[in-house]
Amino acid sequence: MHDLLDDYAHSNALRETSARLKLLLGLGAILLCVSSSSPIAPLFIALTMSLATVRLAKIPARFYCTLLLIPSSFSILSAVVVAFMHGGGEQLFALNLLGIDLGIREEGGNLALLLIARTFGGMCSLFFIALTTPMLELFSIGKSLGLPDFLVELSMLMYRYIFVFLDQAARIHSAQVMRLGDAGFKSTLSSFSMLSSVLFLRSWEQGERLIVAMDCRCYDGKLDLMDQGERAKPAAIIAVAVYLIATAAIAVLTRNILIL
Amino acid sequence: MTTILETRSLCYSYGDGTQALRDVCISLEQGRKVALVGPNGAGKSTLMLMFNGILRPSNGEVIFRGRPMSYDAASLRSIRRTVGMVFQNSDDQLFAPTVFQDVAFGPTNLGYSAEKVSRYVGFALQYVGLSGYERRPPHHLSGGEKKRVAIAGILAMEPEVMILDEPTSNLDPASSEEIMEMLDELNSGGKTLIISTHDVDLAYRWADEVILMKEGSVARRGTGQEVFGDSRLVKDARLKLPLLVELYQELTGRGIAQRSAPPRNILELCDLLQPKAETETLGRIYICNVDGAEEKQISAVLERISVSFKGAMGTSAKSLAERCGISMDFTYGVIDKCILKALLGKNCIILTSGGMVDHIMKRIKAYGQESGRRIEATCLCHGTEKLK
Repeated sequence: MHDLLDDYAHSNALRETSARLKLLLGLGAILLCVSSSSPIAPLFIALTMSLATVRLAKIPARFYCTLLLIPSSFSILSAVVVAFMHGGGEQLFALNLLGIDLGIREEGGNLALLLIARTFGGMCSLFFIALTTPMLELFSIGKSLGLPDFLVELSMLMYRYIFVFLDQAARIHSAQVMRLGDAGFKSTLSSFSMLSSVLFLRSWEQGERLIVAMDCRCYDGKLDLMDQGERAKPAAIIAVAVYLIATAAIAVLTRNILIL
Repeated sequence: MTTILETRSLCYSYGDGTQALRDVCISLEQGRKVALVGPNGAGKSTLMLMFNGILRPSNGEVIFRGRPMSYDAASLRSIRRTVGMVFQNSDDQLFAPTVFQDVAFGPTNLGYSAEKVSRYVGFALQYVGLSGYERRPPHHLSGGEKKRVAIAGILAMEPEVMILDEPTSNLDPASSEEIMEMLDELNSGGKTLIISTHDVDLAYRWADEVILMKEGSVARRGTGQEVFGDSRLVKDARLKLPLLVELYQELTGRGIAQRSAPPRNILELCDLLQPKAETETLGRIYICNVDGAEEKQISAVLERISVSFKGAMGTSAKSLAERCGISMDFTYGVIDKCILKALLGKNCIILTSGGMVDHIMKRIKAYGQESGRRIEATCLCHGTEKLK
C-alpha cells in the first residue's frame, strides 16, 4: 500500500552490515560534503553514494530517483535565487525583465553550483543511511553513545506507533474518499481536518490502551533494546576508511578548482 | 481439582454509572479450558480485566489461589505475572518496535538478567513457531503472526493462567485453528485458559466449561452441551446454537438419531449417524515423536510404513515437516481427523513433539472406550517401535 523508507531499511542487501559502520560512512560523507569548497568532491560523493545505495544495497533505481527528485527540485530552485543574488566576477548571463537588469556573475554562479552539489551529496549520503539502516539500530547506537534512556525509549514507542497511526490514517482517508470526501477543494479541506481530529482522539485512546498493555506485563520502567547486531567486518572497515580518506583527499586537492 | 480463580459477588460500574458487572460469582478450576460467551456489552472484557487486577471491583472480590486479591504494587506485579492477558487487538499489545523487544518486555521488567531474558524470549518464540523473527518490526507481520507474538510475550513470563480476549477474531480460519491448537497444547502442559468469544462453534467444541454472560451477570455455567442445550437461553443472549447442536436437534426430531447429549464434534456426530458394525477393519494410527529427530529420520520412517494420511501437531512438528518437504494432510484438529480416517480403514501418522504423545494416546484410548471401537495406536520414537 505504501512505499516506506523503513520497509527498504529492513529488507535491503546491506541490512546485516554493521549499523555503526554505515552511520560512520554516511555522516563522514555529509561532513566532507559541507566542508568542501569545490563542487567536485560533493558530486563525487553523490555519485558514489548513489551507486552504493542502488548497487550494493539493491534499492530499486526507479524508487531512488523519485526519492531524490524532492530535495533536488528544492535545491535547484534556491540555487537559482542565489545565482542571481550574488555579484562579483565576470558577467555570465544577463537578461532584462520589464526594465530591470538581472544577471548572473561568476561568483554567484559558482556559489549556486556548490550549493547544488553539497545538497545533492548530502542528500545521497542521508538516503544511504535511511535506506540501509532501520531506525531502531540508530536508537541503540544513540543509547550506547550516552543518550538518556527515557529519550531513547520514548522515541522507540513513538516510532512503533507511527506505523499504527499511518495505517489508521490511510484507512480513514479511504473511508472519506469512498464517500467522495475529496470532491472539490472545500470538502478536501474539511475531510483533512476531520481526519486530523479523529487521529488525535485515537492516539489519545491508544495511549491509554498502551498503559494497560504495559501494566499487564509488569511494567517497571524498563524497555529492552535489541542487541547491536552484526559487528563490522575488518574488510568493510578498511573499505570505508579508504573511501573516506580518498574523498577527503579529493576535497583537499580540488579545493581551488572552480567550474565557471 | 483445585480452584485457581474465584469471584465473590463481583460488581463493577464505569464512571458514567453503567453497571458492567452485577454480582458475578464464579470459580474456575486449575487446568481447565474456559470460554466466556455472551453478546456485545455483556461484561466479558470487563470481567477479564478483573482477573489480573487492571480493573478494581466496586464491590465484591477476586480470589486467586484462596487469597483475596490486593491492589498494592507488589501484589499486582505478582498477579500479573501469574495471570497473563492477550488482548483482542494485537496492535494494542505489541508496542515495542521489534518482535524480540516485545517478547522481552515482560521478562526485562521482572528484572531477569540479559542472558536469561534472551533465553526466555528464544524459548517463547520457538514455542509459537516464530524463531528467526526476532528483528522484524510488528508492522511487517501478518495478523496470525502478530497474535503469536502477543502470546509469546505472555508465555515468556511463565503465567499459570492465560486470558485471551477474542483470540480468533480477524484471523483466517487456518490461523485461528492453529492458535486454538496451540492453546490446547499449552493447556495439556498445565496452563489454565480463559477465552472470550462470539464464535459459538468454537466455544462449544473447545471449552471444558462455558460461561454464558448476559447484561453483566452469569446466566449459565456448565459444559458446552449443558449451556447450548438450552435454545431459549441462547436466543435470549443474542447468540446462536452451534451448528452441531442445531443439527442434532433436527436429527432427533426426525427420529434419525438418539443420544443423551448432543455430539461435541464431527467424530461424535459420525458415530451417532453410523453405529458400530459387526465386523469392521479399522486403520492404525502411528504417532511419531519428532523431538530431536532429523529430517532424514522422519523421511525414512515415512518411507518404511505405508500411511494414507499424514498430520502434524504442534509448531515444532509442523516446521520439521516443512523442512523435510513433506506435505501434511492435516495441520489442525489432527487427532479427530486421524481417528475419522482410521474408522474408514485408512492408516494415518501423526508427527508431534514428545509432550503431546501421551495426550494423543489418551485421546485415542478414551475414544475406544466410549465408542467400543478400538483403534490401534503405535508410538514410533526415533524408529524404535513400542506398541501400546
